Amino acid sequence: MTPTPKPNPPKEDALRPHTFDGIQEYDKRLPNWWLMTLYGAIAFWAGYWFYYERAHIGPSNAAAVEQKLAVIEAERLASAPSLDDASIWKMSRNPVFVDAGRVTFNSICASCHTEKLTGAIGPNLIDHLWIHGGRPTEIYHTVQTGVLAKGMPPWGPVLGNKKISEVVAYVLSHHQEGEPIEVQKEWVPRAPQP
Amino acid sequence: MPDQKITIEYNDRIVRQFLLATVIWGIVGMLVGVLIASQLNFWQLNFQTSWLTFGRLRPLHTNAVIFAFVGNMMFAGVYYSTQRLVKARLASDFLSQLHFWGWQLIIVAAAITLPLGLTRGKEYAELIWPINIAVAFIWVVFAVNFFWTLARRREPALYVALWFYIATIVTVAMLYIVNHLSIPTSLLHSYPVFSGVQDALVQWWYGHNAVAFFLTTPILGIMYYFLPKAAERPVYSYRLSVVHFWSLVFVYIWAGPHHLLNTALPGWLQNLGMTFSLMLWAPSWGGMLNGLLTLRGAWDKLRTDPVLKFFAAGVTFYGMATFEGPLLSIKSVNALAHYTDWIIGHVHAGTLGWNGFMAAGMIYWLLPRLWNKPLYSVRLANFHFWIGTVGILLYVAAMWTSGITQGLMLNATTEHGTVLAYPNFLDTLNAIRFMMLMRVIGGALYLVGFFLLAYNFYRTVRGAAPVNGTIEVYESVPAEPDAKLGFRGTFFNAPTVFSVLILVFAMMWMVGSDLVSTAGLAGLVVSLIACYAMLPSRGSLWNGWYEKLLLNALPFTLLTFFAVVAGGLIQIIPTVIVQKAQNVEDRIQVPYTPLELAGRDLYVREGCYLCHSQMIRTLVPDVLRYGDYSRLGESIYDHPFQWGSKRNGPDLARVGGKYPNVWHFRHMENPRAVSPGSNMPTYPWLLSNDLDASVLPAKIKVQRMLGVPYGPLSAQQIFDSVDLQAKGIAKDLRAAGAYVAPEKEIVALIAYLQTLGHSVPVAPKPAH
Repeated sequence: MTPTPKPNPPKEDALRPHTFDGIQEYDKRLPNWWLMTLYGAIAFWAGYWFYYERAHIGPSNAAAVEQKLAVIEAERLASAPSLDDASIWKMSRNPVFVDAGRVTFNSICASCHTEKLTGAIGPNLIDHLWIHGGRPTEIYHTVQTGVLAKGMPPWGPVLGNKKISEVVAYVLSHHQEGEPIEVQKEWVPRAPQP
Repeated sequence: MPDQKITIEYNDRIVRQFLLATVIWGIVGMLVGVLIASQLNFWQLNFQTSWLTFGRLRPLHTNAVIFAFVGNMMFAGVYYSTQRLVKARLASDFLSQLHFWGWQLIIVAAAITLPLGLTRGKEYAELIWPINIAVAFIWVVFAVNFFWTLARRREPALYVALWFYIATIVTVAMLYIVNHLSIPTSLLHSYPVFSGVQDALVQWWYGHNAVAFFLTTPILGIMYYFLPKAAERPVYSYRLSVVHFWSLVFVYIWAGPHHLLNTALPGWLQNLGMTFSLMLWAPSWGGMLNGLLTLRGAWDKLRTDPVLKFFAAGVTFYGMATFEGPLLSIKSVNALAHYTDWIIGHVHAGTLGWNGFMAAGMIYWLLPRLWNKPLYSVRLANFHFWIGTVGILLYVAAMWTSGITQGLMLNATTEHGTVLAYPNFLDTLNAIRFMMLMRVIGGALYLVGFFLLAYNFYRTVRGAAPVNGTIEVYESVPAEPDAKLGFRGTFFNAPTVFSVLILVFAMMWMVGSDLVSTAGLAGLVVSLIACYAMLPSRGSLWNGWYEKLLLNALPFTLLTFFAVVAGGLIQIIPTVIVQKAQNVEDRIQVPYTPLELAGRDLYVREGCYLCHSQMIRTLVPDVLRYGDYSRLGESIYDHPFQWGSKRNGPDLARVGGKYPNVWHFRHMENPRAVSPGSNMPTYPWLLSNDLDASVLPAKIKVQRMLGVPYGPLSAQQIFDSVDLQAKGIAKDLRAAGAYVAPEKEIVALIAYLQTLGHSVPVAPKPAH
């Protein structure tokens, strides 16, 4: 006599018909959380690949480390106790320094020197003419101590060494080492261009 | 006639042989492991003897536990279960014996050559070329024996354990052969055909998948046979078996580059390695779930039965290790953990926990059945379980702590991130000494457990009569009328076609130009939607196809092979066929002088790469500590590559020129003379052995054949060059107060160390 089968036995508790050396197998559903980890990992792969390899939004390893090293170099240069022409020239070729300097320049200095550095109230900073000396340390000194007689404030106490270095680096990034320096006695202020 | 019953006697003798070899080699391998772990704490245990130093014994440990311990265990389990799952005796007694004795001979050869310093210098692929050929040959013997047995099966369908065995045999053959391609320079030495980044990629494609297809898939097959047998419970889910088998074998192959994250390996390969490693989590856990959930309803037996204890813990450790693996493959986690003890801990959770415990469970289950006598002592087996578990936990916890501690110290900076907090590597080493000691204790406890197993083994089988299993079968094989799948049935069916389409479209999207990529994306979406739409109506049809595939061993094997080969082809072929010049980034290595090359071969011989990497990663702490990050071109002529995988000491990629010659001389003579607190062995024999320069012409000839730009040097020119450079170094050493004859090995090694990092700039390749 066979026992009456249960009505609609749950399908997944049914054993598969075949046995192997006495080993039986259920055919249960795949756990949902397990499937989610699988699908989630696949979705992550697609997103990650798109981000780094198709859209190139994420930086390459080398670009990422170069950027971080530039930050470190910038930090070191900024905290260097004494500055000479060579190290300020080096700063002016460091993108981290120059970018930070641009921010400071545009918020503070551009009111007189303009965002294009072409000068207005204050003198032009991208030509070869300098009033108080065009060597990096001289520029640094000018920013630091100011030329009160001509309306240039001493920025040292306000900005601090690091920000001043950045600003000078930004200015020098428009120049090349070794280019001629001509001393100009006076700057004739112009009206800001419309 | 067709209904006549016959009795088949299984070949269980071969199982007993492999089982005995498992225990013997397991103990040898673990003993060496405990010794080398101790050497890291107590340098004196290197005994100032060349063949007992860490660098030579570490390959012996890894090769012994992988190929001798797990290898023999795998063969025992595969041979025992396959015969029963196909209801047929192993096809050939001769091949079985050839397999056994051939494998043991290989192990003995390895145990002799590795301590002598005869090595290829690639991890888990150290054995020299004549032994490589023997391994490949014996593996083919195994394959023939196995597939021949399948061909004679009386059980038409293939059980899931056999799927895993098939994947193992096919894939290991492929990996082993490709990674061992070499050109001999003498009977005992060869150079790998790949170099630099290519060699690195091939090595870790192999190395990672040695873990996958030597330590994982065969053991999963063994789990699928022995665990339900021991638990006397049905396997939890057939469909989980199907899904996790195919996803595991397909995805595993792609994950190799996660051993090379943040290195000079091209970024797309790193991203593939990382994302596929994450995708590997679910397939791996599929195996764990099927193991653990099969135990449902049998948990009460765990209290008394040591076999189930070992299996349950083994599967749990498998789950732990396969969760940790994807975690470590995340680039930022890897930046901390790579080269540290965390990786060692991860590996040992897998090998001690999964391989060792599955082996112990299988042995305790088989002993009474193969010798027809109850196990000598169940209590002792239970004790083995507990001492082993404590050993693993101690080991793994110590290595986690050690790895994370050292990783954090190495990466720590101060003064606004501009300066390393621990500029001296030895500070970080000496911070983890205690953890390294705990590791030795954990490993030793685990080894004691295996001694107990050996004793239990001996007492059980002593005086017992070996017994072979038998089965009664009908003489004729039950014929299934339309079981043949044929070529079309194998390849032209919806599941296979969809798999291929999805893979091809995904590849087009990933690497194609914009147009191809967009087409790939469109094709991918259409394929996925079509597949999903067809599933409800055709699902049972696809099920039926798969059931039919299980009746066809050859088509099943072919599909498995294609699944595993895809990842390797897509990763390796572009890297190999790309012109070397395009692979250099902005610097190219200067080829070694003959003396430097000789020194490099000494570096490989002494296994320096096992503790020193030559790869400065694209990570700030690496660059701060070791100099500018390594470029691809800087190892382009390195056969084999020596990027390394572990830093028990500092990276050496740019050590050249950093110290004077005499520093290296004093350091090799006694590392603690110049680096107090170092755990490096002393190398007195380098100061007394003469360099064998006579082999250099043959070596340089092979290097030239492999593409290293050596001019047409005559043997005499080579010897003159060696002589000149060696005399220069010896003179410099003498001026600094170190007296050594120019023909000593140390001079060649110094020449090599001093050229590390020597490259010339080349025009950077245009950005894409």
